[in-house]
Parts: sequence; structure tokens; C-alpha cells
Amino acid sequence: MIYLPIAEMPVNVLLVLLVSGGVGFVSGLVGVGGGFIMTPALIFLGVPAPVAVATGASQIAATSFSGIMTQTRRKTVDWRMGLLLSIGGIAGSGSGVWLFERLLRLGQLDLIISILYLVLLSSVGFLMLSESYSVIRGRTKSGVSILRRPARTVAHTLPFRIAFPRSGLYISIIPPLVLGFAIGALAAIMGIGGGFILIPAMIYLLRMPTHVVVGTSLFQVLVVSSLVVILQSAATQTVDLVLAALLMLGGVIGAQFGARVGAGLKNEHIRALLGVLLILASAKFLFDLVVPPEEQYVFGGGLW
Amino acid sequence: MVRRALAALAFMALSATASAQQPTESLNDLPAAVVEEQITVSSDYRGSYVTVFGVNPDRRGRGDIVVVVRGPNEGAVIMRKRNFYGLWINGDPVEFAQAPSFFAVLSNRPLRQIANAQSIWQYQLDPAASAQLASAVPAGADPSAYRRALVRLRYRQGLYQSYDGRARPEADRGGLTMYQGGLFRAVVRLPANAPIAQYYADTYLFREGRLVSSQRIPVTISRIGVERRIHDLATNASWLYGIVTVLLALFAGWVAALLFRRT
Repeated sequence: MIYLPIAEMPVNVLLVLLVSGGVGFVSGLVGVGGGFIMTPALIFLGVPAPVAVATGASQIAATSFSGIMTQTRRKTVDWRMGLLLSIGGIAGSGSGVWLFERLLRLGQLDLIISILYLVLLSSVGFLMLSESYSVIRGRTKSGVSILRRPARTVAHTLPFRIAFPRSGLYISIIPPLVLGFAIGALAAIMGIGGGFILIPAMIYLLRMPTHVVVGTSLFQVLVVSSLVVILQSAATQTVDLVLAALLMLGGVIGAQFGARVGAGLKNEHIRALLGVLLILASAKFLFDLVVPPEEQYVFGGGLW
Repeated sequence: MVRRALAALAFMALSATASAQQPTESLNDLPAAVVEEQITVSSDYRGSYVTVFGVNPDRRGRGDIVVVVRGPNEGAVIMRKRNFYGLWINGDPVEFAQAPSFFAVLSNRPLRQIANAQSIWQYQLDPAASAQLASAVPAGADPSAYRRALVRLRYRQGLYQSYDGRARPEADRGGLTMYQGGLFRAVVRLPANAPIAQYYADTYLFREGRLVSSQRIPVTISRIGVERRIHDLATNASWLYGIVTVLLALFAGWVAALLFRRT
């Protein structure tokens, strides 16, 4: 047991390490920040939601930095794309932290977080599951992987087009900026890195090749989560350094193991697994929203 | 029923006597002391106990003892869940300007047998007595329901406690024990989620429903060592604190990537 100075509660060190290690493992496996599991897990352990959201961001920063070093060596980071996504992300996370504080004061933060998780987890989950299912079925039938990716999207028709040599793309800079903004705002409010939304969006919307997607998304996640930590520290003072250190320790070790195991696994199987996981998590949020509450009254409008 | 009556009384008593928390008249001395006046919070903190010892000055042991341990008053907001097209959302907020962040009341027999409802509210021996509404209650809502909800939620968090002498005092949950010769001992469990602040242990002696004597002893809970440094940095230099946390994160990520590259 160790006492957390900001959350003002004792936690079981081994339990926190185990949880963060498990989340780190999944994140290394699939290339997502893992915040969408970490934040609810911390809340479940009794950490106040604002502390969980803000502190989780620091663990995401550590995991994504460790991941990006591996990806840089493999030359799978599209720096130009990452920079554009980050510029959008910086503006987005600033707005997100502001909104976070407003919602906290209105007492509606929990509701917004629940609804956002419900919508995002279920839609991304179903998308991943159905896509990977069709790939797996296609492979067993014909032995050929079919990724149905239309050649052109809105990104190819909008103005301000530039070349992205590492991705082999010539697209407008507007979609990456908007995408980065949206992910940045969600990251600040939900305590997620946003990789699990960013990755599908990069594949389906921007048509980026799969091998650069993970590294490039990690770069954006790193920039945004670092900024969220600093902004939340200044605005709401909800970042717990002791908890952050524990999460980092578990998270980075787990992520390295995950990346190793992930290298030997088939991509669509991982994505199908993650899809199931996301749908299960969203079912939990739906359940909490529609089941009549046992206690009618709640505390609201404050940090705790 | 009794609670409702109490709540109704509260509104009458509150405005007049909210400031008169401590009685000025003191007929007898009530010797009392706490075991630890300074409770320190370090990294192994898991909550604590406030132990109050005292002696009833009456030789025949007449009178009733009430011990209240109070944390600082803070603002609070209570909201009610409403069904909005199938979703349960928070609505109808009611703000309390003042509510005790921690409140434990211990007595040798049930409080209502010791003092009448008016005294209980006057001396704020009930946590609801200290809770003052700051904003208007939404139309159609019952203000006492919000007050009860505040108290109920805090009881559930372990931040409000009561012991009325009917059960045996337990080691882990505390209680009030009376000894021979008028000596008494009150033990209050301070959970780890109790705010770190200045507390007061108040001891009251009632006789035939009237307050005879009371004493207030301050109990300070404070952070020490690393816990204190981290908290001070987070509140006084929050930008620096955020940057330090990010640097720590980058360092942790770098070390991990380096370590696992070699192996």
C-alpha cells in the first residue's frame, strides 16, 4: 500500500502495477495508448475520475515515447503527417481541458464521459470486428487478404495538398489537422491517447499505408498526452506524480512485451480481439446509463 | 419521521444560531485531551485514529458525554438523477455553502435521549445541522431530501460517523467507552479519504438535557516528507509540476526502450 498525495488515498502497489502492466501489454500489442482501458480501470480502483483522467495521460506519454523509439528505428514514423496531426492536437487538447473544467463545474462530466465512451467504443469496436472478420474469412477462402480501401477520399480532393513521401500520399492538410484537433479534444476529456480512434481514421480516411500508421499515431499521441499532463496540472491540479510513476513502470514494461508478442501475431486477429474488447466495454457504459440508479442523489460540481 | 421533524427545526434554528457553535457559559471544567494532536501523512498513510480521553467532573458520574470530531466546513453540490429519454443524467443541482467535510459524533446513549432537538441543532451535534443551503431548491424539490442525501452520501464514504452507545465499541470502527470514576475514551476512525486539514475534537457534558460544559481540542493532520513536497509543488508551481511529470514520463519510456533493446 502506498498513499497518493494528490488523489489523497492509499492504493495497493501490486494491483496498480498489474493493471498498468496489462494495459501496457495490450497497447504494445495493437499500437494504441491504452488509456481507454486505463482510465476506467483506475476509476474502478477508487481513484477520483478527474485524477484518473489527468494522471492516465502521463502514463500514455511514457508508453508512446517508448513505442516511438522502437518505431523510429524501424523507420515507420511519417514525421510530416505526425507534425500536422500534432498541430491539430495541440489546439484540440487546449480546448478539451477548458471544456473538461467547464463540465466538471456543471456536474455533467461523468455523463459526457460515459456517452462519449459508449459511442466511440461501440462504433470503433464494430468497425474493427467486422473488417477483420471479413479479412479472416477472405483469407481462409482464397488465401488473399482483401482490404477494401477506396483509392480516393475527401482528403484527396480538398485544397492545400502536399506530399507525404513516407506514406506515399499526396493529400490535403485539412483532414489531418481536423482529425488531430478532434483526437486532442477527446484525449483531454476522456483520458485517452486516442490511438484507437486515430489508427482506423488514418487507414480509412487518409488512406495511409498500415505500416506507418502505428508509429505516426504514437507521435501524435505523445505530443497530445504530454500537453494534457501540463495543462491539467496547471488548470485542475489533478495529476498525481506517485500514481503516474507506478503507471509508467507497469505500462512501459507491459508495452515492450506486447510489442514483442504483437510482432509474431496476425494483425487481423489482434484487431478482432480489440473489437470484442471495445464492444464489451461499451456495453458496460450503456448498462450504467440506462439502469435506474439505486441512489438518486450524487455529489456534483466539484473536483471530487 | 423524527428526522423530518429535525430537518424542519433546522431551518428555524440555523439562521439564529449558526454562529453560536460554542457555548460561552462553562459551569464545570471538562478535562479532556487527545492522544495525538499532530497526525502526519506520509507514503504509508492508511488512515488514522483520533482518540480523546476525558473525565466527567461529577463524582457520582451524572450526566452524558458527547464527543464530536469535526473537519473543516466546505461547499458541496448535490444533484439528483433524472431520466432523460431513457438515460439517467444528473440534474437539479442544489448548492450547500457549508457542509462538514468530516463529522463523527459519539455519545454514551442515543443523542435524542441526551438533548432535545433544539440543542442538537444549536450545538451542531448532527452533521446535517452544519450544512447550510446556498442556492434555491429547484421547484417541486424537497430541501430536506437534499440535506438527507448529503448526509447519507457522506456516511457511505465513511466521512460521517455516529456512535450512540448501543453497540460495543469496536477496535476498527471506534466508539465511546465509559470507565469507572467518570473516565471516558472516544476513538474515531479517520479514513484515508478524510481531508488533510485542521480538525477539532469537541467534548460536551450534558446533564438533564442541558449543556453543562464543553471543551475544544485542535487536531492537525498534515503531510510530511515526500508527500508534502509533491503536494506543495503541485499547488504552488503547477506548470513546473506538469513539466516534471512529462519529463519523468519521457525518461521512463526511454529507459524501457533502451533496456528492452539490449535484451
